[in-house]
Amino acid sequence: MPQDNKNSPLNVITLAVILCVVCSLVVSTAAVGLKSLQDANIALDRKANLLSVTGFEDLGSADNINKLFAERFDIEIIDLTTGQPAVEEAMEALSVAGKKMENAEETLVKYNQVWASKSKKDAVSDKISKNEDITQIKYREKFSHVYIMKSESGEVEKYVFPVRGYGLWSMMKGYLAVEPDLQTIAGLTFYEHAETPGLGGEIQSERFKSQWPGKQIYCEERENVLVKVIKAAPDNEYCIDALTGATITSNGVSKMMKYWLGDQGFGPYIKLKRGTVSETKETTMVTTGGNTNG
Amino acid sequence: MAKSNKDLIMDPVFDNNPIALQVLGICSALAVTTQLSTSCVMAIAVIVVTGCSGAAIAAIRDRIPSSIRIIVQMTIIASLVILVDQVLKAFAFKLSQQLSVFVGLIITNCIVMGRAEGFAMKNNVKDSFMDGIGNGLGYGLILLVVGFFRELFGSGKLFGFTVLPLQSEGGWYEPNGLMLLSPSAFFIIGFFIWALRIWKPEQIEEA
Repeated sequence: MPQDNKNSPLNVITLAVILCVVCSLVVSTAAVGLKSLQDANIALDRKANLLSVTGFEDLGSADNINKLFAERFDIEIIDLTTGQPAVEEAMEALSVAGKKMENAEETLVKYNQVWASKSKKDAVSDKISKNEDITQIKYREKFSHVYIMKSESGEVEKYVFPVRGYGLWSMMKGYLAVEPDLQTIAGLTFYEHAETPGLGGEIQSERFKSQWPGKQIYCEERENVLVKVIKAAPDNEYCIDALTGATITSNGVSKMMKYWLGDQGFGPYIKLKRGTVSETKETTMVTTGGNTNG
Repeated sequence: MAKSNKDLIMDPVFDNNPIALQVLGICSALAVTTQLSTSCVMAIAVIVVTGCSGAAIAAIRDRIPSSIRIIVQMTIIASLVILVDQVLKAFAFKLSQQLSVFVGLIITNCIVMGRAEGFAMKNNVKDSFMDGIGNGLGYGLILLVVGFFRELFGSGKLFGFTVLPLQSEGGWYEPNGLMLLSPSAFFIIGFFIWALRIWKPEQIEEA
């Protein structure tokens, strides 16, 4: 082909158009074709994390993970402001925000609260004022998942709250497992973060994670969140030793706890649940008292 | 071209290594080499991209107008990188999470562009493919060497298996924190270049 013909404007445009069409076809075919596999990977990874944070070990194959999860976990969607279960409300809000869900079942499984927060849509998220936004999420979703792990006989064994907050480089997303007293931490894990490997990335190390089980969340009056990550932590039930060389990541984890366990986060839900727990205790006491009197 | 397949592939590995001699693609060599497994996947990803982009560009080299040749090369490379990223997300999810943004950044890896512009625009499909594979291998070799030393001395492991038991976990080895930070890769690449030039003195530049 002669040189000038190749460089003619017509040829330039034709080649550019053909190239763009071919490349976009290749890319979109790959993206669409592999999407179901990728989504399955992500869903499986979340379940594996939920199981490991509640103490399951040696999870094994994908089938096993799915089976265990289905057997032992209940998923709830709650209204973060009131702490009440709110699947129906979440479904309505989602359809307003442009994500139509078929039924409550699908909403429970498919609701993505990180998406809700990022969408900045009024129906599903609230803007947080600067001084309240200690964990830098900018918008807080209105509805949140709560995962409830049950024993084989159906009693609540652990509550798992999705938590997230900004570290040094990235949004750290994780799961916090709490004992049924809603005061003792059972475990913490991160399923997504991009902190420096070897420094902040150590939030996923056994050494850091093993410090969490048994720590207490609130002070004795159950008002303020006391659990925190600090340097040279004293040996008590509220403090977790920070990571060396990762001050900002450690502070991020600390703030994340303060935010998500406080009134802006799961505080109302926790108060509500604790209320019902202590109420049942009181009733039993009254009945016992009545019996003695009689 | 007079070069045989073997030369095309082996030349860039030791004689004309893209990192050690041409000093290209340094940034990703720093970023992904804290562990051997991520180095390994990154190396494979780059080999695939350099090989395929070389072949694709060589196939249409006679039709690429010189005025838009760079953007044409970029488009092809970018598409291939997205393809690799999607495949990794589907089949090696854990590793793709660790590599995170760096797979996408292969697009900006100077080696890929360098070979496209410097070799694939002038040579036939087969040679360009081989040349791409060779340069990817040269890059991969350095990544593996750096990854080996950084994981071994930084966290006492190789491919995630404990080799040197750490003090913090009851062993005897005090890990070298510097190895986990990017600058350590500079030192290791420096030592590698030193060793390579003792072996092949013809690579030494005149002062």
